[in-house]
Amino acid sequence: MVAASHGTPTPDLTNEERDILHDVGFEDLDNRAATAILADGRVKLVHSNDPGVEVLPLAEALRTYDFVQDLMFGLVDPDENEQIAMVAEHMHEPLGHFVWVKPGARVSLPVQTFTLLETPQGRQFTHDITLIDEGATVEMISGAAVPSGVHKGRHISIGECYMRKGSSCSSVTIEHWGAGMDVWSYGYTAMEDGARSQSTAIKMAPVAQDLSRDKLIMAAETSSVSQAIIFAGDGTERVIDTETHLVGPGARSEDVARMVSAGGTIVNNAHLVGKAAGTNGFLGCDGLKLTDRGAITAVPALQAEAEGAMLSHEASVGMIDSDKLNYLMSAGMDEDAARNLIVQGFLSLEDSAIPSGLRRRVVDMIAQAKSGGM
Amino acid sequence: MLEVRDLTVAIEDKTILDRINLTLPEGELHVLLGPNGSGKSSLLATIMGLPPFTVTSGDIRFDGQPIQDLDLHERAQLGIGVAYQRPPSLDGVSLRSFAEALGAQDRLEAAAAALDLADFLNRDMNVGFSGGEIKRWEVLKLVLQDPRLLLFDEPESGVDLEHVIAVGDAIARVVRAPDQQGRICSGLVITHTGLVLNHVKADQAHIMKEGRIIHSGDPHALFSHIQTAGYTVPAA
Repeated sequence: MVAASHGTPTPDLTNEERDILHDVGFEDLDNRAATAILADGRVKLVHSNDPGVEVLPLAEALRTYDFVQDLMFGLVDPDENEQIAMVAEHMHEPLGHFVWVKPGARVSLPVQTFTLLETPQGRQFTHDITLIDEGATVEMISGAAVPSGVHKGRHISIGECYMRKGSSCSSVTIEHWGAGMDVWSYGYTAMEDGARSQSTAIKMAPVAQDLSRDKLIMAAETSSVSQAIIFAGDGTERVIDTETHLVGPGARSEDVARMVSAGGTIVNNAHLVGKAAGTNGFLGCDGLKLTDRGAITAVPALQAEAEGAMLSHEASVGMIDSDKLNYLMSAGMDEDAARNLIVQGFLSLEDSAIPSGLRRRVVDMIAQAKSGGM
Repeated sequence: MLEVRDLTVAIEDKTILDRINLTLPEGELHVLLGPNGSGKSSLLATIMGLPPFTVTSGDIRFDGQPIQDLDLHERAQLGIGVAYQRPPSLDGVSLRSFAEALGAQDRLEAAAAALDLADFLNRDMNVGFSGGEIKRWEVLKLVLQDPRLLLFDEPESGVDLEHVIAVGDAIARVVRAPDQQGRICSGLVITHTGLVLNHVKADQAHIMKEGRIIHSGDPHALFSHIQTAGYTVPAA
């Protein structure tokens, strides 16, 4: 592990590493408040330019701060399921990032964290812990990537995020795993009173099997807006399970998934639970199929447990509307260009939640995915 | 510029257009008058190559080239464009991203301002637009596409009088201006109310009825005739 000193402008990365990380949101250290990069079985770099942010390898954080022991497996049981148990069992020396945004910090530049799997047929088990302390505000960019030569392997990750009272976080996550990889991701977030979250997850690149399970617990007067942009070409199977629990009065959530299948399968199970009066939640699950192959399954579920919990959902799955295609082609676009524009629009890539620098890269990913270039 | 000769068009087995003949010379703007269901929109869609119309006989030539076997986007790339009567809405596709996809972003802002759409550049196409805004956007869309043959399908429908004037003036301005390469343009405008007639400054009008062009002549004389005698052939 290289612990880059304060102000070091260039991380210890190869050109290839920089290139593949750049595709999932990496920027030079000077443009980020803090950076953490994990490669294969080691934390390769941690660096902070901002006194309001501390980043450490998880193992070091556990030794440095007693409270981190309470955070680890604080939101999920180590025996929750087979994969999580596997991570727990394998991590004699825990592998992952610890990001701590200090109380009251107003972090102006984004914090970036990345995971690389560089060994073909590698097996990677990681555990990341994020603590956004009371009243802190931060923007986070996370990515996962493999070099072009890595097609197969397995990645299992656990993420635990604690948002303390009145904290605020906007985040973007981009995954670019290998086409033959199996990936299991488990994310758990607890939001304390008044915390606010805005998150975007982008899953565009092919992967053999991708199972993600996210659980969000929201206390009083919290707010969460999340969107997932999900693409599955031939050979990709994704299962996305989300659970949002509106536990405290006044908690509000909006969870939208936009899914595109170009031959792959996507299953989106979204479960929204209103446990207190005055809560308000919305689930949106929209699917667009580009071919007759593959399938999209959208299963929104609402569960109101308290009087005054207002829950709603919208779901749709369909093919590209030929009227829209013809409309664009009548302006001179060929069919591929017209389809790309419709898909980009469907995925709402102009949404302000996506950093402009990343937007162009995602557009390129869509074009590559459509042409089978990824 | 546009030559339609003995064109017969069907949807499945049903004839929609019957032996249509129409000549639109370079630099001219013509209007198609006719009652609802007379085949005006079907003719424009057939020229453009939109489904579900099948040419069963006759041909369509653009600059002397037969185009009825060309795909929709190929006709557009040759220089034909259409302003829709009821365009679809495209969620998530802004006017700006559309212009970028056409490579026309450099002239977007000025063209949008000229059509009073300067505040619409980040709006999604046709999403939440009023009737007048849709019509002005369709004109702007053609400016961005930069065709030489501009087809307008009922540009005054669903629009209040103030917008009819604005849209009519915009059509005249766009058709009468040369394209980006300095070439002369032509226009064909469908109307069944005649409201845009005073504004588009048409050179010639054609009356369509029951899938046929039954008469051609001076636009204002024909419209006056229609107001008194309906969509009939004027006496010689």
